[in-house]
Amino acid sequence: MSSKVVGQSVPKIDAATKVRGQRKFPQDFNMEGQLYAKVVWSEYPHARVSKIDLSQAEALPGVVAILTSKDVPVNEYGINIMDQPVLVGEGEKVRWLGDRIAIVIAESEKIAQEARQLVRVEYEPLPVVTDPREAMKPDAPLIHEERGDSNILKHIKIRKGDIEKGFAEADVIIESYYLTPHVEHAYMQPEAGVGYIDEQGRVTVIAAAQWSHDDLHQISHMLDLPLDQVREIVPAIGGAFGGREDMYIQHLLALCAYCVRRPVKMVFDREESVMRTGKRHPYYMKYKWGATRAGKLTAMEMEIISDAGAYASTSVPVLSNSASFAAGPYVVPNAKVDAYTVYTNNAVTMAMRGFGSTQPPVAYESQMNKLAEALGMDPVELRMKNLLEDGSIALTGNPMPPGVGVKETLRQTALAAGWKEEDGVWIKPGPGLPSAPYKRRGIGVACGYKNVGYSFGFDDKTRAIVELALDESGEIARALVKLGASDQGMGAHTALAQIAAEALGIDYEKVRVALVDTSVVPDAGSCSASRHVYMSGNAVIRACQEAARKREEAIQRGERRVSAEYEYHGRSVRPTTPYDDENGMCDPHIGYGYASQIALVEVDVGTGQTEVLKVWAAQDVGKAINPEMVKGQAGGGVHMGLGYALTEEFIQKEGLIKTRRFSEYHIPTVADMPREFIPLIVEVPDPTGPYGAKGVGEMTTLPTAPAIISAIHDAVGVWIDNLPATAEKVWRAMQVRS
Amino acid sequence: MLEARGGEARIIAGGTDLVLQSQRGQCLAKAMVDITRIPGLDHIEERDGLIYIGAQVTHGQVAASPLIRSRAGVLAEACGSVGGPQIRNVGTLVGNVVNALPAADGAIALFALDAEAEVAERAGRRWTPIATLYAGVGLCTVDPCTAMITQLRFRALGKGEVGAFERLAKRRALVLPILNTAAIVGLDGDKVEKARIAIGPVAATPFVATEAAEVLVGRTPDEASVTEAAELAAQAAQPRDSLLRGSAEYRKAMVEVLVRRALWRAVEGASLQEGEDANS
Repeated sequence: MSSKVVGQSVPKIDAATKVRGQRKFPQDFNMEGQLYAKVVWSEYPHARVSKIDLSQAEALPGVVAILTSKDVPVNEYGINIMDQPVLVGEGEKVRWLGDRIAIVIAESEKIAQEARQLVRVEYEPLPVVTDPREAMKPDAPLIHEERGDSNILKHIKIRKGDIEKGFAEADVIIESYYLTPHVEHAYMQPEAGVGYIDEQGRVTVIAAAQWSHDDLHQISHMLDLPLDQVREIVPAIGGAFGGREDMYIQHLLALCAYCVRRPVKMVFDREESVMRTGKRHPYYMKYKWGATRAGKLTAMEMEIISDAGAYASTSVPVLSNSASFAAGPYVVPNAKVDAYTVYTNNAVTMAMRGFGSTQPPVAYESQMNKLAEALGMDPVELRMKNLLEDGSIALTGNPMPPGVGVKETLRQTALAAGWKEEDGVWIKPGPGLPSAPYKRRGIGVACGYKNVGYSFGFDDKTRAIVELALDESGEIARALVKLGASDQGMGAHTALAQIAAEALGIDYEKVRVALVDTSVVPDAGSCSASRHVYMSGNAVIRACQEAARKREEAIQRGERRVSAEYEYHGRSVRPTTPYDDENGMCDPHIGYGYASQIALVEVDVGTGQTEVLKVWAAQDVGKAINPEMVKGQAGGGVHMGLGYALTEEFIQKEGLIKTRRFSEYHIPTVADMPREFIPLIVEVPDPTGPYGAKGVGEMTTLPTAPAIISAIHDAVGVWIDNLPATAEKVWRAMQVRS
Repeated sequence: MLEARGGEARIIAGGTDLVLQSQRGQCLAKAMVDITRIPGLDHIEERDGLIYIGAQVTHGQVAASPLIRSRAGVLAEACGSVGGPQIRNVGTLVGNVVNALPAADGAIALFALDAEAEVAERAGRRWTPIATLYAGVGLCTVDPCTAMITQLRFRALGKGEVGAFERLAKRRALVLPILNTAAIVGLDGDKVEKARIAIGPVAATPFVATEAAEVLVGRTPDEASVTEAAELAAQAAQPRDSLLRGSAEYRKAMVEVLVRRALWRAVEGASLQEGEDANS
């Protein structure tokens, strides 16, 4: 079938309205008679609240209500485990700085701001635990006494083959300890929204969210209301990157509306967004890998410890992902993985672009690059000998499903960057001349892969409705796609509209995608796991096919409207299974996406500072529904990867956050981006994907940091195993080396 | 106007620092007096060998000024590295001085240029070395609620006299420096006739490394003398451990690296000019 719309870089469906400023973001909503709310945040990372005195704040004219734990019908929530109090009351514990004591609601934002400073809270400080390795010890202070006698939230074991035999077969063994830091999502738009009671009496929230239907479950639980008495509307989203998969403002807006029965607006400022919401998990990764002289991996032993912070959030599924990707996209006969996620009093950690697949490449790709060096083998060549192919047995014992494109991404990236290949022997290009006598150039390579859709036996499903309006001759005049798929700004709605247009055989311009409003659209699962093109795309195609069938009937009956609905389940094509408790064997994921990148850097030997000059980035997306959007994802992924590698340092001391704003937490600017960026689209189809498509959103950020780290080593001979590779760290490593 | 408000009004020009301070409740003034439309404060000009810069002049204007680029290139370099284009196009160089931060790029270059400021206050106008304006981190001796700095002046660099600015930061734009330095070297033939080195932020105020500069005077600027000066500068500088900027050890080592680079660039520039002189 020749595609007319799929594969075309059509304009994004919301581009014109966004450029004209017509499209509303949550902060743009205002309602008649609305009140303003501000949160009274925890002042301690671990303490018992002994007294909450509201008297002064309540006395301030214009204060309408001050909500405390007593006002919350069921004072708990959480996306995965309900271990978070909505508000912390007297006698209860705060476990990090993002815990809330009260919400002040007032006639104006200014009064609310003033009143929250008048709320007096007394605390009894408790011992603060900030290192998960310390928190794992039996005598460590417990963060959640109610959840058993250990801070360890989850331990995952994988036992494959015989690692002792594997290491005995190895000619080279590389052992290293890798650390990756907290990362702030830093979406453009801080949390904001309005809560109100709608005309049908439903508690309604307008806010940015990644999975509005799951928010509803949590909100209905919190308010002890039936599901049909709560509603969430998701307007345009100013970025999310995983940070809006959990609720940080949705439930608070719902609670405010529920309690005061009037519209209530709440907006976090940037410091609140940075200090009081979740981050990417820091990882502590102990890796030992062996390979033969011929370059075949023989054994791997890995210990992974993740810092879950104060509450579980999605730490367990994130860890599950990490364990399954611990070996990287490589075949290994013998492996042992012990992965832990542990409560601490640090910032809550959660989904962030990669969902546990972003940290392991920092370890597994550096392992590959170190092995290549130790073996005197080109790093591309070593990878080619070990990379997964269709049917390869992965770390968890499952055969890889068709469409494994990682080798192709590596081949194309390497050739584009100047590698030469002859009979399986790969030769690296020279990095070129540095721009100053005190600078050295280096080039580095890395690969990565990640799942598409929910894993480990979770029933991933997406429901879509397609409504057609027919003209007099029965042709489709308009198609409306309704599903609860949030578009965080990256173009999910555009891609789904393209898929619908293609499936219906109509122009892209005739397709609209409905605003996400849970009272109108069905549950499509979260905007995460790089899954909407694959999962929702599959649902939309099938709903369109159903609609096309119904259209024939409608024409015969002389009707002008057609509606069709389809619920697509991932398990219908590839059932997944959970980890075996003892050996970890399972079929973890529905599908995968793959990426490879090469970075050219220049390191200042005097200061240790690294500049990234050029990045080649190949992603196997199966089929690029919209090639320009794929390139955009690649650029964004590299940007985040560059910050991860070099500049983004989220600094906490004893649970207190020291990097509270963007002048302190350094996201790369446009001046820090590589001067040349070469995105390469690879299309090895997934036979189960819509038009062969996989996912793209997360894979593009996986290889960047390890490629840069490898390039730094190529330039100045030092390995930085502890991200970010700041100038000072590189300088220190060079001092130690000389 | 300031007087009428009895100390409750404060001067504002670019406002790139002040507006943020105000938002954070760190500025107690009840009113702002905008000076950006007062005539006669927008000049960058040379008179009798001195360069004058008015209080309205932005970093962007300084960085782009042909006069500054040719006669005080070090200041153009410094102003060109402040923040990002938007900040440079709004924030003023005089504001950079009033804000009195020891890391301010523009101020570091002004210290190397040994600049003076004209202060207008109730008693009249007076010229004072800018060093006298700095009382500590963020503390300027000129109270912007009762007085204002109307202009800056410094001696234009002459033949054989060149400056260079070096900066180390966590990223390439929109960030305060880990360290910055401005060095000026004046050659007479192949000998250093004068030198001046300013470094920030290694003390509560911009730091002038007098000893390091003096060790160069009268000597040929070669590897040995430049290294000696850079080492002396590093010894004299007292950077602190900073969570956000880096360890004292690293920053002290970087003083040497940056001062050496700035001195070499200045020496190379100055030698070129001296060479041209000899050839003409």
